[in-house]
Amino acid sequence: MLGRRGALRFLALPPYAWLGLFFVLPLILIIAISFRPETGPINFDDPWAPSLVQYQRVWETASYLRLLGISVLMALVVAGTATLLAYPIAYFLAFRARDRAVFYLVLLLIPFAASYLLKIMAWRLMLGQEGAINSFLQFIGLTAEPLDLLLYSRAAVIIALVYVWIPFAALPVYAAMQRIDRGHQEAAADLGAGPWSRFWRITVPLSLPGALAAFFMVFIPTVGEYVTPSLVGGTEGFMYGNLIQDFFTSAANWAQGSALSVIMLVVTLVLVVVALRVVNVRRLTT
Amino acid sequence: MTGAARTRSAVGVGRTRVPLRATYLGMLLLLYFPIALLFLFSVSQNSSLSFPIQGFTLDWYREVFEDASLLEAARNSLVVGFAAATLATLIGFAVSVAVIRFRFRGRAGLVGLAGLPLIVPFIVLGVSLFLLFIFVDIPRSLATIAIGHSVVAVPFATLILLARMVGLDPNLEDAAMDLGATYRTTLRRVVVPLMGPSILSAWLTCFIVSFDEVAIALFLAGGDPTFPIFLYGQLRFAQRLPVLIAMAVLLMIGTVTLTLIAFRLARRRT
Amino acid sequence: MLARTHRLRTALATFATTALVLASCQGAEPQELLVLEWAGYEAEDFWTDFQTANPEVPVDFEFGSTDADILSLMQAGSQADVFHFYTGWQQFYVDEGLVREIDTSKLTNWDAVPADMQALGQIDGKQYFIPWDWGFSSILYNTEQLPDGVSSWDVLFNEEYAEHIAMWDDGPAAVTVSAYINGWDETAITDEQLAQIEEDWIAQKPLNLHYWDSEYENLCPEVISGDIWVAYAWPGCYATALYEGVPVAYANPEEGRNSWVGLYGINADTDSYELALEFLDLKLAELTCGNAVSLFYYGCANGDVMAAVADPVLIEAFGLNDPSILEATNFTPPVTAEQRDAWTAMWTRVKAE
Repeated sequence: MLGRRGALRFLALPPYAWLGLFFVLPLILIIAISFRPETGPINFDDPWAPSLVQYQRVWETASYLRLLGISVLMALVVAGTATLLAYPIAYFLAFRARDRAVFYLVLLLIPFAASYLLKIMAWRLMLGQEGAINSFLQFIGLTAEPLDLLLYSRAAVIIALVYVWIPFAALPVYAAMQRIDRGHQEAAADLGAGPWSRFWRITVPLSLPGALAAFFMVFIPTVGEYVTPSLVGGTEGFMYGNLIQDFFTSAANWAQGSALSVIMLVVTLVLVVVALRVVNVRRLTT
Repeated sequence: MTGAARTRSAVGVGRTRVPLRATYLGMLLLLYFPIALLFLFSVSQNSSLSFPIQGFTLDWYREVFEDASLLEAARNSLVVGFAAATLATLIGFAVSVAVIRFRFRGRAGLVGLAGLPLIVPFIVLGVSLFLLFIFVDIPRSLATIAIGHSVVAVPFATLILLARMVGLDPNLEDAAMDLGATYRTTLRRVVVPLMGPSILSAWLTCFIVSFDEVAIALFLAGGDPTFPIFLYGQLRFAQRLPVLIAMAVLLMIGTVTLTLIAFRLARRRT
Repeated sequence: MLARTHRLRTALATFATTALVLASCQGAEPQELLVLEWAGYEAEDFWTDFQTANPEVPVDFEFGSTDADILSLMQAGSQADVFHFYTGWQQFYVDEGLVREIDTSKLTNWDAVPADMQALGQIDGKQYFIPWDWGFSSILYNTEQLPDGVSSWDVLFNEEYAEHIAMWDDGPAAVTVSAYINGWDETAITDEQLAQIEEDWIAQKPLNLHYWDSEYENLCPEVISGDIWVAYAWPGCYATALYEGVPVAYANPEEGRNSWVGLYGINADTDSYELALEFLDLKLAELTCGNAVSLFYYGCANGDVMAAVADPVLIEAFGLNDPSILEATNFTPPVTAEQRDAWTAMWTRVKAE
């Protein structure tokens, strides 16, 4: 028994230590720094007194909060669209691709494995005025002139991000669908339920955990996304993540950037908790 | 007999209504279009990414191996991925064993902590570590990137290993201890081998996560770039893009191979 | 099977430790240089003499996109041995202890640098920086789309060219342009003026195709392709577009062009001081300096090289034949810390709006 207790310490301490040091501590630090009054980069040796001035500045700047709202909305759209589009893929893999499942999975994995940056660059090419999409639209006669609104816009950011995330979103949904007992569907069929009815009343509810996992897996990183907006967003596609990026680079103001980060963390956390509550409530009432 | 057979093959939507395979392949086509475009430019003679294509060549692939800074960036990514994956897998393993096999007060907390990085956007992870390293005066380097990536990867490793651990028969460990082994030895000689495929699968997943990661890496990099960082800095050179794409294609083939291995291993049951 | 997996795990663990150790050992050798540069300046033409003299020394580059960015990177502990920035920001580097004094006696090309340029790199009588490139900021415009030419900086705000304008992604530059247009004193911008400037640039934002932060990535290609007709730009893109046969011109607005001088400093924490000195010295050499002139239409601090400029296109680009251009030119004044923070914050609010 002593050996086992010793083993527990040996097992539990390293994770606590590593995550405590490199995950919890930095978050505590960024929260602390958000209460510093300095503008510009921070010299940690300087004396300081806690102040709410950074949060005050954010509160007074309507555009920052609006930008957070817009970024959250964009993230919702990206996550929702990616999860929705991933559904048929996951369904096919789970239920229809029995023997060749590995083959189809590999087909899905290749876009998954391609470099993120290059995928965004490919979109920059396709969405540009000389790009494939504009040429195609002109070719089929839908538009006479290249559409200006495709590249360097919020739409471009959303399209590119949905594209990047679909393969990732398919996996949790696929995993959840794999665990669905065919027996349920067979029983329903025996009781006379048609294919759509079976889908809506059995497959969807049972795969919902996977869909939710996919949704949040896409939503959370996308709220803080900054690389894609900087490449294809132009002036309109500027996101909250770019704001934070600016305050740690060209507009160096670490305390302000920290405050903005803390606000985003809190908002994300609240959204996740609320969403989980809503889901649980619905589960309880069906 | 006919009724049962009909039911079984009618399971799922779409035998009659939704052409599911066609939808799947259609979606794949859409997913592949940008990649196909990229691949096309990696074998085109054009020095920039534009149509019409003037001819085909494998020169860009040859150039990949002649470009010292490109190869070095790829090597850096390998090193960082290795380190990050190993760290994350070790932690994920420790967490899953501790949580499944032991009862202690902080149990839920440990799992929660291991999963928490998932709900923190990458940029916040990046800047908070950026601030930490400045605070403790550690210069940024490949090691700091590896640390950041290990934090991001821990939830993935934990998830995979936890799932496997749950299905592991505790009697085997009890048997080993009844025969006189300490728990540590049991871990080493019974649990680890049994979980082998999952461990490798978790490791490879973490490696892949780290390899393509750029949002955190940009904040934690020192003088040596990883491949995505290098790529980000080279994007301005239109004439460099074909070589970079060629390298990315090679890396993609490598990643897919690794993922296949991971998948195969994860499905193998000892 | 058990032993094999066990050995595999031990091997992996050893690999990881080795990898971490190796990774943290990176950059410990002194025989290489890391330069914090602006996009385009990593071209080998711009350090060709150094490369010829030291072919086995690898030179790597880190990039910044504005002076605020470069300063921020240095303050955040960049490991670059040498960094490049522009006039107006010298004091910050000295105040923060980021730069090491330069021993000009070791520079063989120092005497070719005119005295007034040498003075730009001096703070309190000590030589901290080496001037290298100089030039203008002005409006680059497509002469086919703007046949009447450009007479004022306010063309950047002209709705006629909506979605074909590109402003540089830099707050201090935006303040400077507004100061020129409104006739305000750049060194004494009041809070009301700054608020007005912010409003003006918020209104200007939708007129841009996008902001640019890297000349050769998101400015020049689109100037050449004809998507951008009017841009805040430096002569480099002007030269490049001319070479590509694009009908462009570099304006002489009535408020005057802006002029800047590029300075190099050596990181106070560098391990490679001698190598960095040599790098800077050879930058001033005839061939390297001459390349800046002939390839990018930038002026160079080597006075002998400038005196030898004979190409009429270059003479025109530099305004060497038109003394009134230099007279009308506004040289960039030093920026204070308050201005730096206020102006960059203003610009961030413009972008967030």
